[in-house]
Amino acid sequence: MRRMSWSRTIIYTILFFVSLAVLIPLLNLLAMSLSSPDRVNELSGLGIFPKGFSLINYEIILSNPMILKSIGNSVFITIVGTVLNLTLTSITAYVLARTNFVGKNFVLIFLIAIMVFEPSMITEYLLVKDLGLLNTYASLIFYKAINVYYLFILMRFFQEIPESIIESARIDGAGHFRIFTRIVLPLSKPALATLTLFYGVYHWNEYFRATIYISDPGKWPLQVVLRQFVVTQDNTTMLAGMNLSPEVLASLDFASLQSSTIVIAIIPLLLLYPLILKYFTKGTMDGGVKD
Amino acid sequence: MKAKLKRIRSDWILYLMLLPGITYFIIFHVIPIINMKLAFEDYRIIGENTWAGLKHFQVLFSSPAFMDVLQNTIIISTMKIIFIFPIPIILSLLISEVRSGPFRKYVQSVSYLPHFLSWVVIAGIWISFLSPDGGFNIIRNFFQLPSLDFMTSKDHIRWVLVFSEMWRSAGWDSILYIAAIMKISPHLYEAAQLDGASTFQQMRHITLPALATTVVTVFILNLGFFMNAGFDQVFNLMNDSVISKIDILDTYVYRIGLLNGEYSYATAASLFKGAIGLVLILGTHFLSKRLTGKGVW
Repeated sequence: MRRMSWSRTIIYTILFFVSLAVLIPLLNLLAMSLSSPDRVNELSGLGIFPKGFSLINYEIILSNPMILKSIGNSVFITIVGTVLNLTLTSITAYVLARTNFVGKNFVLIFLIAIMVFEPSMITEYLLVKDLGLLNTYASLIFYKAINVYYLFILMRFFQEIPESIIESARIDGAGHFRIFTRIVLPLSKPALATLTLFYGVYHWNEYFRATIYISDPGKWPLQVVLRQFVVTQDNTTMLAGMNLSPEVLASLDFASLQSSTIVIAIIPLLLLYPLILKYFTKGTMDGGVKD
Repeated sequence: MKAKLKRIRSDWILYLMLLPGITYFIIFHVIPIINMKLAFEDYRIIGENTWAGLKHFQVLFSSPAFMDVLQNTIIISTMKIIFIFPIPIILSLLISEVRSGPFRKYVQSVSYLPHFLSWVVIAGIWISFLSPDGGFNIIRNFFQLPSLDFMTSKDHIRWVLVFSEMWRSAGWDSILYIAAIMKISPHLYEAAQLDGASTFQQMRHITLPALATTVVTVFILNLGFFMNAGFDQVFNLMNDSVISKIDILDTYVYRIGLLNGEYSYATAASLFKGAIGLVLILGTHFLSKRLTGKGVW
């Protein structure tokens, strides 16, 4: 018995350190963003408690018109994009999972081909340009409007709905569209919740397409602005369009401003994280390997 | 034939419901794939593109810059497979030894979290944590090692890629293995305990063999994405000091094509990468089907 508890102690210790390795860099940034600017120098790179306490970094970041605009852009793109994703994915999944029609096999092979052949970012860019969609939210909303992997997850879920329920609706004279909206969708709430989170997280985190399709900074989503600060180290945009007094300017700590922007970008994910854990985890376990 | 036509006509609503999805795929997926013929043409801003044959490919394969990015892509992908692939397996073995309860929930919730952060956010976190006075250098100093500027160090930047990818994905990727372990019958463990098997003996003789299929499948599927090497990651962690060590195919295509405007040449590079990727995906799909009965689709 003693040896068992020995190995157990080792396992618990390793896992505890693994969790610290994930948490400390995150908590350190949070502590930095909440420290008061004159004492932030005292904060060690491993410190997780703020030195002093101040919300000045958040006040400055959230009073920057460009950042506020970008948060609005991100929210808009995420909501509209996810609604479009769900509509297209579910209606396509219904037809492919629950009905038989001439040409169905052809469509399924077509979808597998879509999964295997990836277009080049160059020809995708040129397409968006030719369609006149550069510098529009539409370019971001339409990109990956249906993810084939998610489509297959939803199809698998729709297939599990008992045929008897659908059959009885059909006898009552319901057509396909009615069966889809009144029976299949309401019975699939957990799967739709999973997909909402999948797609929503994707849109919120998307930055690359916005980097190449959107050149007007007023239309940038938050991730692109954040990238401008933390990756490109562009400090002038961080304070652009704000009239800060020289004293305030002198007291600012750019690393802390960056960390507060990172925290703002993570907050929506943290708020949804309990739901994500509940649905994502299940979706991934059910979905088998690739999805 | 007539019956078929009749069925098509009576099922019109189904085709109507499929129309938006199929239209989307054709416009945003099929057309850009067909347009990759641009690799064999010279791009013209006005008028039709002109045929260029294999010219761009000849330039590509004789370009030392392209050979460098190809080499970087292969090195980085190989390093990731060797050093990251086993970690989620080990993690799942450890987590499975923890009985359900608050500690297990805590470890799982924390280790999955980085998977949901964008690479922009992760780059921000890592640039700060690896800075000369950041957390990692404090740990190094504790062990009497000097501080290093990892983000600009040519010798270390590939390891930064390996460890940041591990930090992001190891927890989440362990889910599949944990699911497989949960399917093992508890009777096996009970019997082993009666025979006096230790925790580690049970891991080695019951859990690991039961994981074999999942391990093989995941490994094969990873191979299918070998040429990607993690574009988003490199794109956000790259800087001028280390570009020669971590410039990969996709970042090269981005720079040459979208920044410098050499569309045809960049598309040729894309097409080359896509062709290898296609062979790998198809190959691994059929290999996986044969070995484990589970394919990519």
